Amino acid sequence: MVVAGCAPSQSTGTGSSDSLAVPDTIVIGSTLPLTGTESKTGGRYKQGYELAVEQVNAAGGIDVNGKKVKVELKLLDDTSDQAKAVNLAQRLITSDKVNAFLGTYSTPLVEAQSTVAEQNKIPYVNGGGAATSIYAKGYKWVFGTLAPVENLAETEMEWIDLQQKAGKLPKPSKVAIVWENTSHGKDFRKGIEDFAKKSGNYQVVVNEAFALDGKDFSSILSKVKGSDVDLFMVDAHLPDFITMQRQYLSSGMCNKVVTYGARGTEADGVKALGQKGVDYILSAVWWNSQLGDEGLNKTFVDSFKKKYGAAPEWYQAVSYEAARSLFTAISNAKSVDKTKVRDALSSLQMSSILPGGKVSFPADKGGQASYPFVVQQNLPDGSSPIIHPVDVANGKGTAPNPMCKG
Amino acid sequence: MGQVLPLAVSAVLLAGFYASMAYGLGLIYGVLRVVNLAHGGMIMASAYLSWVLFTRFHIDPYLSIPIVMVVFFFVGVAMYRGLVRFLPRGAAGGVQSLLLLFGVWLVIRNLAYLLFTGDDQAVRTSYSTASISIFGSSYSVNRVAVFVISVVAVVLLQLWLSRTYTGKAVRGVTENSDSSTLVGIDVERVYAITFGVGTALAGLAGVLASTLFAFNPSFGAGELLKSFVIIVLGGLGSVVGIAVGALVLAFAEVFAIYVVPSYLTAAVGFVLLVVVLIVRPGGLFGSKVLR
Repeated sequence: MVVAGCAPSQSTGTGSSDSLAVPDTIVIGSTLPLTGTESKTGGRYKQGYELAVEQVNAAGGIDVNGKKVKVELKLLDDTSDQAKAVNLAQRLITSDKVNAFLGTYSTPLVEAQSTVAEQNKIPYVNGGGAATSIYAKGYKWVFGTLAPVENLAETEMEWIDLQQKAGKLPKPSKVAIVWENTSHGKDFRKGIEDFAKKSGNYQVVVNEAFALDGKDFSSILSKVKGSDVDLFMVDAHLPDFITMQRQYLSSGMCNKVVTYGARGTEADGVKALGQKGVDYILSAVWWNSQLGDEGLNKTFVDSFKKKYGAAPEWYQAVSYEAARSLFTAISNAKSVDKTKVRDALSSLQMSSILPGGKVSFPADKGGQASYPFVVQQNLPDGSSPIIHPVDVANGKGTAPNPMCKG
Repeated sequence: MGQVLPLAVSAVLLAGFYASMAYGLGLIYGVLRVVNLAHGGMIMASAYLSWVLFTRFHIDPYLSIPIVMVVFFFVGVAMYRGLVRFLPRGAAGGVQSLLLLFGVWLVIRNLAYLLFTGDDQAVRTSYSTASISIFGSSYSVNRVAVFVISVVAVVLLQLWLSRTYTGKAVRGVTENSDSSTLVGIDVERVYAITFGVGTALAGLAGVLASTLFAFNPSFGAGELLKSFVIIVLGGLGSVVGIAVGALVLAFAEVFAIYVVPSYLTAAVGFVLLVVVLIVRPGGLFGSKVLR
């Protein structure tokens, strides 16, 4: 009403009605698993979201068509529960009428929640769902800053390929792919299979999946042992990593290259296996604070340390970038109109702290950002330098694994 | 096929752990006819107790077994006296006992989330990745130790039931609680002791689990399900049957990889359960109870 009353007094111009539609506060809805099984990760995502909001508000707010608008984050606890993530999102969208949504963490929860966003036609950016299945549904309103796990496998294989070309690994190399039977594991397997097919220098001789929270991996490990593989490529969550690696070590196995996907550098893993138990394990993550000595990364790491008193990990980096992408898109859209923000997200090209230096949500990937991972290798001195991609590497990797005799 | 022997040894070692999880559930069911749904929660809680004793007080997990079992015995007795005692006996108590004990499990789990957060924890001793050679293949020292302890536990449990006055009273109550009262057995006391011993055995399983696996407050759900499969396979309530049920399950899981994709091996046990229930509804060892 007020808008209509004021309109005649405004000078004519196409931008004016838009600027009048700009609210005094932009309300962003979000849920995260702050309690329950995923509480630790949920807490880290909260830090990323809140830092991004704090920074944009400290700068006066998001610049929407010349007007600085503050951001309010309505963040609720979905208790790591799928149904709750869906219900709370529904409530935030329909009752609280939030302008846009920042998604929750873990693939199953994002998969369920993103459907609500799509049905209600509201821009939905998440940093917590990596499975390609989320983005393969033809959704138009869902965007993600976690690159697919296929890229994890591919980036690791790129480094391995460099070692093979340098004559450090046999040609062809025999590969065992052992993956958890989840969308995460399936994407990992696909990444390696695709690379092996493309290159022709890798022979997949063991390809086995296992159910989550396994108690005994002896049958899979004995298959790997019997096939005399060069590359032991596993994708596992932390509990399975610990159980499998303990059985692997105590059965006297040793392969030229060993990876458990994203696992290997975390303190909990080292605590459970000891430094010797994780030596020379290759791992890859979406982001690492070692990237942080210049530019945007330095700003992020420094401001994070100042606010929270600890160094950020990849969880905070991808959630921070999810929030920044949404804010940048709103600014680019010059409006909070949902369709315009959605279109701005689709065409976004934002400078980023993530490897590759840019974030975009390509349509051919269904709105999922795609960039290389950072590959690290654990060294006996306790450090885990980045060894790939070459342009960000701060250490040299070792292959074959020096712990193997002969 | 040169891998058959190492895999068979692995299966036997795995069976040792499986049996240790199932003893407590089987004992309580055999005597009280109550499926202790809180069993998984007890295993998880004792894994945490073992972890606390190890990280805070530097007590080796194997040495902490007596402490943990005594603590859990009294927890079990208290649970019986405070909760389970009030349940109606017989078929009527079935649903109510399931609901009550499931509730207890939820409470334990959420308490653990409050106390320890959802982080995965593991007990790492100096010998966590040490191995010993059996028939030319290497096996983890911990897995062998867990197997030995499990065998000792089943022998002691059997001796207790057959040689001691309390054990004989337990068997008497199992056969016929009314007649037991008539011959002067304090049935309530026997129930309380049984619940205590069953819970202490869950405590034992938790300590053993803590030496082998990483765990978090959700740990125990899979263990409860497998324990259930084992006690049904072994004939509800038979101690030796439980050990054999564990062997059957472990062999089925380990060797299933030759027949089905490896991610389905966890389902093999449940298929086995359905088949056994159809073919031999009383379990592989019939309906003999605690003999």
